[in-house]
Amino acid sequence: MSDAPPSPTHESGGEQSPRGSSSGAREQDRYLPIANISRIMKKALPPNGKIAKDAKDTMQECVSEFISFITSEASEKCQKEKRKTINGDDLLWAMATLGFEDYIEPLKVYLARYREAEGDTKGSARSGDGSATPDQVGLAGQNSQLVHQGSLNYIGLQVQPQHLVMPSMQSHE
Amino acid sequence: MMDNVGGSSSNIAENSGIIREQDRLLPIANVGKIMKQILPPNAKISKESKETMQECVSEFISFVTSEASEKCRKERRKTVNGDDICWALGSLGFDDYAEPLRRYLQRYREQELDRANNPPKRG
Repeated sequence: MSDAPPSPTHESGGEQSPRGSSSGAREQDRYLPIANISRIMKKALPPNGKIAKDAKDTMQECVSEFISFITSEASEKCQKEKRKTINGDDLLWAMATLGFEDYIEPLKVYLARYREAEGDTKGSARSGDGSATPDQVGLAGQNSQLVHQGSLNYIGLQVQPQHLVMPSMQSHE
Repeated sequence: MMDNVGGSSSNIAENSGIIREQDRLLPIANVGKIMKQILPPNAKISKESKETMQECVSEFISFVTSEASEKCRKERRKTVNGDDICWALGSLGFDDYAEPLRRYLQRYREQELDRANNPPKRG
């Protein structure tokens, strides 16, 4: 696809051999735990489905790259704006810039609800009533069914699940 | 949010249809660590951005795996392999990422083969 976003320019992995530690970072720092990745993958499969080890390892590599790619773009924005702290909005901006615009709408809703819940939590800490935490907000929409049982259905979205739409993947240079 | 790495989900939780946070999301400490590696030394990451990324990554895994699973179902195969993941990435518009991952997969398999043929000597 010619209008896909440019290949990542950060230095997270590149062409080194698999599981190589040439970057100096320990393997457990560079990757997310494979058991957790496997568990999330399993939820997207039918009950009798299986996952090969190479599929788990490929996904593990892929996820680290995904995090690095988006964070790198958000970091650049913060540097240009002379800010030290990356926030949720920076990540959403980075995703839009990198061609993930179809995925950011549900995340905007998530972020708004998250902030509401955080506000409630801080308020209730002072007043002593146990109001909603982000975890409880997370379980609000448990009966909404998305095709791949992904995680954003847990925020009880009433919006069209745009993360199921094909990404247009245009880079906004 | 719990940073639980291990532990299989309890049957009670499974049967009642409730999925625990630690089963649904990847450990926030690990996500934060990967994000930190990309940033300049003096940069900081807010808690909300770690949690947004945590949410995002779970969605990404489910999205890609679901596409790969669909391919396996159509081809009447039970096991999703690395090639299926690469195919799913390409199919979902991540062409620029699928190619480097294919090369990764090739090297990974060469390495595994090497390991099988030359097991480490003990003692």
